[in-house]
Amino acid sequence: MHAYKVAPWRIQRRWIGGALLAVVACTMIAALYLDVTSQAAIAGREIQDLTAAISVSQQASEDLQTQLASLTSSASMQSRALNLNFRPMAQSEVEYLVVSGYVKPEPEILSSASLPQLSALSVLPEYNQSLFDWLDEQIAASSRGLQ
Amino acid sequence: MKEQYARRAQVLIAVMIFAALAIIAQMIRIQNSPEADIFRERASNYAYELHTFYPDRGEIYDRNGHLLAGNKSVYEIGVDLNAVKDPSAIAFAVGNELNIDYAKLLDSIQNPPAGLSYIVIADYVEAQKATNLQALKKALQAQAPEGSLGGLTGLNFKSHPQRSYPENTLASNIIGFVSREGRGYFGVEEKYDRVLAGNPVQALVPTDPNKAFEIPHAANGTTLILTINRDLQAASEQILDDSLSTYGAQRGSIVVMDPRNGEILAMAATPRMDLNEFWKYSDTYKTASDFNTPVSMPYETGSVMKVLTMAAALDSGTVTPNTTYFDTGSILVGGALIQNWNQEPWGEQNMVGCLQHSLNVCLAMVSTQMGAGTFYNYMDNFGFGHLTGVDLAGESAGRLKLPGDSDWYPVDLGTNAFGQGVTATPVQMMMAASAVANKGRMVVPHTLYAMLRDGRQYSSPAQYAGSPISEQTANTLSEMLAVSLESEASLALVPGYRIAGKTGTAQIPVDGFYDSTQTNVSFIGWGPVDDPRFMIYVWLERPSASIWGSETAAPVFSEVAAKTVLLLNIPPDSIRQTLVTK
Repeated sequence: MHAYKVAPWRIQRRWIGGALLAVVACTMIAALYLDVTSQAAIAGREIQDLTAAISVSQQASEDLQTQLASLTSSASMQSRALNLNFRPMAQSEVEYLVVSGYVKPEPEILSSASLPQLSALSVLPEYNQSLFDWLDEQIAASSRGLQ
Repeated sequence: MKEQYARRAQVLIAVMIFAALAIIAQMIRIQNSPEADIFRERASNYAYELHTFYPDRGEIYDRNGHLLAGNKSVYEIGVDLNAVKDPSAIAFAVGNELNIDYAKLLDSIQNPPAGLSYIVIADYVEAQKATNLQALKKALQAQAPEGSLGGLTGLNFKSHPQRSYPENTLASNIIGFVSREGRGYFGVEEKYDRVLAGNPVQALVPTDPNKAFEIPHAANGTTLILTINRDLQAASEQILDDSLSTYGAQRGSIVVMDPRNGEILAMAATPRMDLNEFWKYSDTYKTASDFNTPVSMPYETGSVMKVLTMAAALDSGTVTPNTTYFDTGSILVGGALIQNWNQEPWGEQNMVGCLQHSLNVCLAMVSTQMGAGTFYNYMDNFGFGHLTGVDLAGESAGRLKLPGDSDWYPVDLGTNAFGQGVTATPVQMMMAASAVANKGRMVVPHTLYAMLRDGRQYSSPAQYAGSPISEQTANTLSEMLAVSLESEASLALVPGYRIAGKTGTAQIPVDGFYDSTQTNVSFIGWGPVDDPRFMIYVWLERPSASIWGSETAAPVFSEVAAKTVLLLNIPPDSIRQTLVTK
């Protein structure tokens, strides 16, 4: 019978290999976590910037709308018409014609597109907590269970 | 040798494990130390910022989509005193752009009140001027040597919205205005203030970008579409202004309404103000009721009230159009003598002649025959003494004295019948007369056509305030009024269109007595008689050219009606009837 003994360097290598594997695994998880977190942070920052940009655009749009309304106000349109040698029509000058199929236009319906509801996303995020948040929650839940 | 390496490796591993454990232990210790809570609390102060989101105030449009009230950006210009590099440059640039005294400005920057690190030097600055200053600041920064600051460093700009009225004075009495504090005053701005303003949202906004989805969204205020037709409003205001100068009247108002549904198409009043300069309000108006007289200013309307007295008499069966009486020029009611407008007898008259010649004696006789109970019941049903519910701020209910009131006397039954001793606003008169024009159904006057919220339009339906008279009475009276206008060749007539209406001339009480030289003249009319599409009320106060409504208010009515049929595309009766028969 021969007794075999594993060489010590093999044991050491196994240990080192195991430790390295653990380190690599941890590093990969950390890198992945960092990557996801940073991407989420960048996306979040973009949302904040876009929200600010939306309000600036809306303000600019309102400014332009008001300017346009001033330029087409009743008084300015009347004065422009007079400058172009138009004059108000008298009632006696109107000729009414029967146009078959003509439908009198109804008062203009003003409807605008619905605004983006940033606080109420139509697609809810799949994950809404970080790994550490999840761990915190699990620890808190287990400690409550122990009590 | 090998053992030596193994030992070294073991020592190295032990040291590293120890160091790692020490770091972990230290981390745990720091996390759980008493200071950790302090740091966490400090960090939480920066995790969220408390923001109040003020929604944009809803806009106001006319029925054809013309903007009557909107929002624009204005700027607050301030100085960060800790960051100022060159106070004189700031004072010079701002003073020059905004027309502010340079020395005053420099003094306020150099000698600010103690403890302040930021001062506001101008607010509500027009966007263009603020943009000019921003461009100058940028240019000076670009010119400055590398690493140093520009001359306008410390000058800050904050934009915020301000109400803007592109039509300036047009329909100012209907729209009202918004103060700098954001509160609506008068007209639609006050009546729908809460709806227009929306609800400010106060929320903690996360600074952590990972929580960006928590950023709240404040829904904007509701946008309103009014029943007003801008072009008709402009035309009515123009005609009113012209008539004030033509007839030497002190003040006036013209209201155009669709009697079928109560939609107010135009409401002109004098004086008017530029809503963009609302702080000058007190320069234009002495009291709040001067702002929108057709709604807030009740007055003794005079003979236009005869329309409603006759409606009550016909409906109650007291008289018919052919009922005759012999006019002696005066009648005794409650011990007081009531006379005709010319203090003369008119002989035998029927009820058409009674309206045509506007005979006070006739109407006093009719009301006394009806009796106080019936007469005041009808007047109450017509809405006198009550608010109409028109959606404009500051409505007044007027006064209808009733039997049993301490200041009611039997003579009031006679005088109230021709519009003396009873006060009403033009809007009240129109609501009451709408029963006559609209087959007995009385409409509530309103200015709201629809609301827009979150991309959806909510239309405002017509509201009816009962049927004080029957359809038959309404049609009979409309015909009587049309015939009476045609018989006297009234100045109110509009060529091509059949009109029903009545003039009113009311002496104004001065120191408790009626002054025959000072009158309120009015006209109420509608047309076309067979299918009324418009009702117009004209009121001129103290005209000097003539004291009679038939010579002042009636031609103004005709002018407004002619403009109305043009702008509302209502063809003359002959063409319209041809179309109907086809």
